[in-house]
Amino acid sequence: MLETKNLSKKFGGLRALWDVNTKIEQGTIHGLIGPNGSGKSTFFNLITGIYQPDLGSHINFAGQDITTRSAHQIAELGVSRTFQLLRLFLDMTVLENVMVGYHCHSPYGILSPIFLGTKVRKAENIIREEMIELLEFLGLAEFADIPASELSGGQKKLLSLGRAIAMKPKLLLLDEPGAGLSPVNIDNLMDTILTLKERYKLTVIVVEHVLKLVMNTCERITVLDHGKKIAEGTPEEVKGNRSVVEAYLGKEMADEEIRRVFTG
Amino acid sequence: MFKINKICLGVVALSFMFVSTAIYAGDIRVGITMRMVSENGQKYGQMMMDEIDIINKSGGINGNNIVATLMNDECKSDKGVANANKLVSQKKVHLVIGSTCSSVTLPIVAVTAKAKVPQIIPHSTNAKITKLGSDWIFRVPVSGRFYAGVNAKYVGENIGMRIAYICAADAASQNDCQAMQGQMRSQHGAEPVYVAEVQEKEVDFRTHMQKIKTSNVDGIMIAALAETMARALIQSYEAGMDESVRRIGSSSASNAPVPKIAGDAAKNVFFAAAYAAADKRPIARLFNEMVRERYGIHAPDHDFSQAYDLIRIVEIALNNAKLKLTNSSLADDRVAIRNAIAGIRNYQGLASGPISFCRDSSPVCRDGNRTAVLIGYTKGGEQFETEVLARVTMPMDFGL
Amino acid sequence: MIELLVRINNSIYNLSRVHRLLPWLIAYLVLLPLPKLLEFVLSDYYIDLANRACLFILLCVGLNIVKGFCGQVTVGHIGLYAIGAVSSALLAINYGLSFWVSAPLAVLITGFAGIIVGLPSVRLEGAYLALATLGLGESVRIMIAVTPALGSSTGIMLIPAPAIGDFVFDSFERYYYLVMTLAVLGIYLSFAILRSTTGRAFQAIREDPIAAAVVGINVTMYKLLAFVISALYAGLAGALFAHMPPGYLHHNNFTIIEMVTLLLMVVLGGIGNIWGGVIGAIVVTIIYDQTKDYYFYQPLIFGITMVLLVVFMPRGIGGLLGRMIVKKKFIKNHEDKVIDFA
Repeated sequence: MLETKNLSKKFGGLRALWDVNTKIEQGTIHGLIGPNGSGKSTFFNLITGIYQPDLGSHINFAGQDITTRSAHQIAELGVSRTFQLLRLFLDMTVLENVMVGYHCHSPYGILSPIFLGTKVRKAENIIREEMIELLEFLGLAEFADIPASELSGGQKKLLSLGRAIAMKPKLLLLDEPGAGLSPVNIDNLMDTILTLKERYKLTVIVVEHVLKLVMNTCERITVLDHGKKIAEGTPEEVKGNRSVVEAYLGKEMADEEIRRVFTG
Repeated sequence: MFKINKICLGVVALSFMFVSTAIYAGDIRVGITMRMVSENGQKYGQMMMDEIDIINKSGGINGNNIVATLMNDECKSDKGVANANKLVSQKKVHLVIGSTCSSVTLPIVAVTAKAKVPQIIPHSTNAKITKLGSDWIFRVPVSGRFYAGVNAKYVGENIGMRIAYICAADAASQNDCQAMQGQMRSQHGAEPVYVAEVQEKEVDFRTHMQKIKTSNVDGIMIAALAETMARALIQSYEAGMDESVRRIGSSSASNAPVPKIAGDAAKNVFFAAAYAAADKRPIARLFNEMVRERYGIHAPDHDFSQAYDLIRIVEIALNNAKLKLTNSSLADDRVAIRNAIAGIRNYQGLASGPISFCRDSSPVCRDGNRTAVLIGYTKGGEQFETEVLARVTMPMDFGL
Repeated sequence: MIELLVRINNSIYNLSRVHRLLPWLIAYLVLLPLPKLLEFVLSDYYIDLANRACLFILLCVGLNIVKGFCGQVTVGHIGLYAIGAVSSALLAINYGLSFWVSAPLAVLITGFAGIIVGLPSVRLEGAYLALATLGLGESVRIMIAVTPALGSSTGIMLIPAPAIGDFVFDSFERYYYLVMTLAVLGIYLSFAILRSTTGRAFQAIREDPIAAAVVGINVTMYKLLAFVISALYAGLAGALFAHMPPGYLHHNNFTIIEMVTLLLMVVLGGIGNIWGGVIGAIVVTIIYDQTKDYYFYQPLIFGITMVLLVVFMPRGIGGLLGRMIVKKKFIKNHEDKVIDFA
């Protein structure tokens, strides 16, 4: 599904990502973990075309080379993502937010609104119905007409997920979906993600700090540290990896939660 | 229900706002639109209003009051057209006065011609204004080409043929500049030595001045609005050109800011105008005194004198016109006023020469004062002084 | 007051369910006899005022597309207006084309110019973009001011009024039918654009260009498109201005002062709100006209108003009303649900 070869990115003198080779199989949930500043977000930004990778890098998606494509072209191929800071269109309504997600599948041309009123109106009705259905699934339908800025934090998170799903993606990249949620909410969110994955036949990559979430749901995990891939494998394999534990624990410091997860 | 009442109240209040200016029969309504953005513009606008007040206080026109509306057009054609439309359609004026900018007067001529309202112009000098052939317009001054003719004659006979030009982009200066070059060519066969086109409010003339200096000229014509001209004058001395190179001003050289800002650099600048403050006639002395007392103007230029002459001409015309001044006689009264203005012959006022109008709609009939005085500054600064160099009358059909 | 607006809003919605064009048709028919009414109640000067308001409505609606929907700060709009005006005037005078040919051509020319004004937006944002567009807009004016063929200082005179056969649009009332029709059409098309994928893409770019790109919106293309569409509006308004009797154009109608007035209209009405732009254009035109006697204080008042608006009412009149209506509806829907529950 997605394959990177020698994926690298330098910002000035800083190497954010360093020759990362990885392969994500179709239909899996793939975890991407690592300490802060290890290059997880850069990885997402490179895949989705927000940054251009350095020379020598290769990104292959569904049999096509997307290394040098721009963000919107990659989106058109079916790569969709959420953001850690959500980046919702706050001044637009909830419904409009998901309808923007549907952009690439719009059945009419950009100038049609001026010349082909009836056609556009019919198409709009179909899109609206489809999107309201999606909102209903996410439990946001009753807020369809209010601005996204007036939603609560959890609802915003759901909406950002909804917008990504509205793109009908093949590959969904989730950037820290659990950040800021209580444990109960995280479980609910994971359930939603799994249901969506089944329903829309998605391949999912999750970047997450909440290790429990990654360990429990992901089929394979890639671990990054200082821009380099230090481990890859099933959750069990990763847990037992010496360099992973070191990367997380450092020499002295020990985070209670991490210790608990790693030591089982 | 209460809310509906409130809305009704609002609507009524709003409509009162619109109909705030009720129109009474028996008044002679005059509308003035002019550029009121400069200090002087405001002062001679005020002078026109004051003079109209004086007429009213001393009995009005055959017992009727003149009601004047003064509007600002900021020297912008769209605002001027809106003003003219408002004066003609809403205020239902008998006479439109204005504007002071050619670019505003030009479109207004079409408005007054269509509405059949007489219009009299204080000092727009673009040649096209009277050439448009409207039956309803008169102007106190004459087309700028007259001044150019006078200037060119004087320059050719007393200064020399090698003239450099600095032309700013505003309408009046462009006009003056083109006309002067044309007149030098036709009267003396002299081609311009150097022509610099600059912005309306240009600040840096140094490169131009250096080039002019090296090309060894007899005189420089600086055609620009007052402040810009003053800057150019100062920089011409800074560039090292002494008084042997004569400075020729465009029509705005008559404006007080030129000697005030330029100081000694204004010395030896001369220009053609319709009025000289140095005029020794009693009427001129009285006028200078009046303007100094009322408006604190040290020496009025021809913008003031023409505004004053205009009100006197209007007074004479209104006195001569047989006005009915009823609600239904508006159109007739407008025609009567036009005919009365067209009947003005040999008005001798502040202007350097007599003013006559006539019935035909050609420039010959509709342009006013054809005599120009050549004025030179003898001293710059706040208390500037001028002298009359020459007085030149051009033939009726000059330059047509 | 809000109740009334909500009620009007609802009845418009009900009408549009009968046929989507019905509210528009009714609005048009209501506006048609306006000149007669104005002439009867006030004087025919107010028709002229209405005409000018219509021109500004077109300009504001156009500016709202690029500035309000798409969030690109442009201060060069008045330059596009000038291009539309001058090109239509010159085509009509120099080539003898009728208004019906010269105006569409002028609109197209302005559309191309819109691409040029929009190009800086690919790389620049916010204040920098404002500066770049300001430069472009002002250079158009200066170009007109120094080129004799474009009118320079004397201006372009005697631009013919539009005509259909013998019917010449040369009076206030006749011109009203022309500008009002086009203004209504302009507002309608603006809504059609806003309520489509294109309009949503514009808004998404305004809200967050990166998120917009990630959902598949070609940000560069849509930014340019917004500039072009708004340029088309400006070109049309310009052509209508040029041919409006007395048919005279001068470059000092296209200065930064006019641009600021235009911005005031959009800000007062509400950035990103179509009806806001319309309200702003009408309100400012009327207030400007009614306060003409206080010309001395006008710039001061306008400036202070603008600052106060930006600070205290950033969404303008339109935004405020729109939001109230939406909230009222939301509360009402919920109340209904609660009642259903009980």
